[in-house]
Amino acid sequence: MKRKSLVAGVIGIAILAAAPLYTHNPYYIHMIGTIMIYAILLFGLDIVVGYTGQVSLGHAGLFGVGSYTAGVLFLKLGAPLWLIIPASIGVTAGFGALLALPALRVTGPYLAMVTLAFGTIIQILINEMDFLTEGPLGLKIPKPSIAGVQLDENSFYWMVLALMVISLVVVDRILKSQLGRAFEALRGSPVASDCMGVSVYRYKVYAFVISAGFAGLAGCLYSYSEQYISPNTYNFELTVLFLLAVIMGGRKSRIGSLLGAAIIVILPKLLDDLELFRMVASTLAVLMAVGGAIAVSREMTTVRAMALPVVGTIALAGFSFWLQSITDWRLSIFGLMILFVVYYLQDGIVGFVRGLLVRKGSGGGRAIVLASGAHKDAITQAASTHTGEDLLVAKGVLMQFGGLKAINQVDISVKRGTIHGLIGPNGSGKSTMMNVLTGIYVPTTGAIEFAGRSVVGRTSSDIALSGIARTFQNVQLFGEMTALQNVQVGLHHTFHSNIVDIALHSPRHTREEAASVERGLGLIDFVGLADLANEEARNLPYGKQRLLEIARALALDPQLLLLDEPAAGLTAPDIKELITIIRKIRDHGITVILIEHHMDVVMGVCDRLSVLDFGQKIAEGKPADVRADEKVIEAYLGGTAA
Amino acid sequence: MEILLQLVYSGIALGMIYAVIAFGYQLTFQTSDTLNFGQGDALMLGAMVGLTLVNMGLNFWLMLPIVIAFGLVQGAVVERIGVAPAIKIKSEFGWIMSTIALGIIFKNVAENIWGRDDLKFPSPLPESPLKFLGANVLPMEILVVIGAVLMMLAVEFFNRKTIYGKAVVATFNDRDAAKLMGINTGLVITFSYALSSMSAAFAGVLIAPLTLTGATMGSVLGLKAFAVAIIGGLTSGMGIIVGGIILGVAETTTGFYLSTGYKDVPGLVLLLLVLAFKPSGLFGKTAIKKV
Repeated sequence: MKRKSLVAGVIGIAILAAAPLYTHNPYYIHMIGTIMIYAILLFGLDIVVGYTGQVSLGHAGLFGVGSYTAGVLFLKLGAPLWLIIPASIGVTAGFGALLALPALRVTGPYLAMVTLAFGTIIQILINEMDFLTEGPLGLKIPKPSIAGVQLDENSFYWMVLALMVISLVVVDRILKSQLGRAFEALRGSPVASDCMGVSVYRYKVYAFVISAGFAGLAGCLYSYSEQYISPNTYNFELTVLFLLAVIMGGRKSRIGSLLGAAIIVILPKLLDDLELFRMVASTLAVLMAVGGAIAVSREMTTVRAMALPVVGTIALAGFSFWLQSITDWRLSIFGLMILFVVYYLQDGIVGFVRGLLVRKGSGGGRAIVLASGAHKDAITQAASTHTGEDLLVAKGVLMQFGGLKAINQVDISVKRGTIHGLIGPNGSGKSTMMNVLTGIYVPTTGAIEFAGRSVVGRTSSDIALSGIARTFQNVQLFGEMTALQNVQVGLHHTFHSNIVDIALHSPRHTREEAASVERGLGLIDFVGLADLANEEARNLPYGKQRLLEIARALALDPQLLLLDEPAAGLTAPDIKELITIIRKIRDHGITVILIEHHMDVVMGVCDRLSVLDFGQKIAEGKPADVRADEKVIEAYLGGTAA
Repeated sequence: MEILLQLVYSGIALGMIYAVIAFGYQLTFQTSDTLNFGQGDALMLGAMVGLTLVNMGLNFWLMLPIVIAFGLVQGAVVERIGVAPAIKIKSEFGWIMSTIALGIIFKNVAENIWGRDDLKFPSPLPESPLKFLGANVLPMEILVVIGAVLMMLAVEFFNRKTIYGKAVVATFNDRDAAKLMGINTGLVITFSYALSSMSAAFAGVLIAPLTLTGATMGSVLGLKAFAVAIIGGLTSGMGIIVGGIILGVAETTTGFYLSTGYKDVPGLVLLLLVLAFKPSGLFGKTAIKKV
């Protein structure tokens, strides 16, 4: 599989490299060059859109920053190519960081608006700062020269090709490394990312900075390619075109980005030809009507669901014959394409083709690469030097939401190496306690010390890295990632390789990656999911998802593991298995806090119990004592236990 | 001093327009947690349709109800095509992209129907300024302020006092619960989009006599109104008026004292700053996310 795509890639590059040799038409060379330049930007945009799942409407602005960095450096300083390329990347990455600053706190529509505002400001600045940018007049910049030799159209083309291939490889490597997994984790579940020590803030900034760097490179090459840049290029329409390219080609795919780039470059040129457009539109309408009729007759879909696209395409065909000139309607066509892609081609062309192949092919899943035989013990022995000392001490914790005291003056101390149960009726504040301990909530008052250090006020990811791991009451897995990748996100802290290591595949990175795969598989094996390692987490049954969360939490090498209702949704045999797992975890010296409603589990494994009711601790002690406690019986069964 | 006061007056008028558009954002955000990214284009369409009617010889005041009806229909269409399918598949990306796409289509269609040049919208009121506290104010500016306030009050009255309005408010509070109570929440969301576009279209014909009318007039207005909606908080009614006036005045003064080229910058920078430091807005309440 891997070799096949490598061969295909090499052939593709060879064909592209040979292009100037068999066509001497500079128009086509320039067009393919533009496609490759856009592709570089789209590789970067895909990091933000496809992997972290955010909408960026600021990439035309970043593209402009790259272009103008190149243009201004050349115009004002006459800087050479080898200086301009890194400068464009660096400056644009800096702007990316600037953009990420307000973007840190917001997501979704807010982020879209922030990036849109950013792009608009960039365009205004380029227009107004004419002492630097020559304003609306634009800049002229000749093709670059390398070692004193002026590049012609063909040699520039080859340079762009080389840079495109390098970008492709680098982006691919970044996205397959721990960084890529972190980006995807942000999208899957921000809360869980933070609790796995992957700081949402930090990696969002990284994603924007890396993405901006590629936009900068693309912008710089674009200046050289066009030899003339003006502010109007970098407008809202361009940004929307970029987004269309990413989603139409296919998110999370380099081939998708290339396809998307080709579409947005070639399509406007095709649209100049009205006859061709009429033909395409008519064919599309006929195909859609026939396809719709077949689909309805086979009861694959309803008449209502098919009505809109069929009527739409027929209307489009009719429209095409009414038109005198198509160029003026270009943006409407793009708008219609976006609507179509958003609702009927959500995974893009690549995703669509992949879907067809998988349905036809034999399952399509990758072979499981579980090295047979015994893994080394995948769980790290926790430092169990002082068994019996207090690992976690919470004093007078108060958590107030408006008028509601979800936790009211609770003291809890947990001894190292024990399993500490936290029980209580629904709404008694158990999960809130978990959230306070892991930094998701900051307690209104009170002190929490973990291993001698205060937890209050620190970020979730910082707390996680200091040794508190957790699972979630409502499962927070990274749905689109495989079970193994989920665990590898937990292993993020074991990576020390930086972006250069990743780009070059240095021995350090290869070693760390291999180690994380091995340990990840070991952990998955430990919770009994060995044969599901390559399955996407969202496809696992509920009970298995809970087990996977435990494996992911263990990957953090925690001192303290918080389990929030791990037995919920498990079958009776699974629960037995779970009890064994919890005991084994304790045997590795890891302290466990267990929230659970299954009393047999709680009574069976816990060394000590704390009972909460209406936010207050009403009892604490050995399971047997707690069971006999009058207050506890009253809380659970109601009435007075007289 | 007189110039400054005059700038403040036109800033207030402009700010009220922002407030009305921002009000439209609030309406849809409250019922469905979605926004129309083409809100500015709804405004532009309103102004364009209004201009066409006026040019056909219709009186400004008679034209208003037609524009309002047009806005209602336009909003409903946007919701049905762009937003409803996305809500159904719970795709945030979907509605963001499709409302952007519809906005682009509307703008492009407008360019093709009405051309790319800015057009003059005849003022329904005398264009000679009045003296107010020693500075000039245009009668149209006063009309903008009054019209904007009336529009917002009318919608608020509808929401608070009528049974249909209660359905809107119920959907805002808890969409699922409202659904279970037999409220057709889909229809309520469509309706909120209709109201939202209606207020934008209305704002369009109010502002048009003061500025020029053209296919591109909406985009930046929509973006800056979003800034106002954020500054005011997406749930605070008073906030958007204050936010709108702050932004409007900031803009007219920047335009006069710095350069008209930069007049859009303060609003956008303000938007970035507020989102960076206080995403819930200056007047909104911070919601604590439950895990």
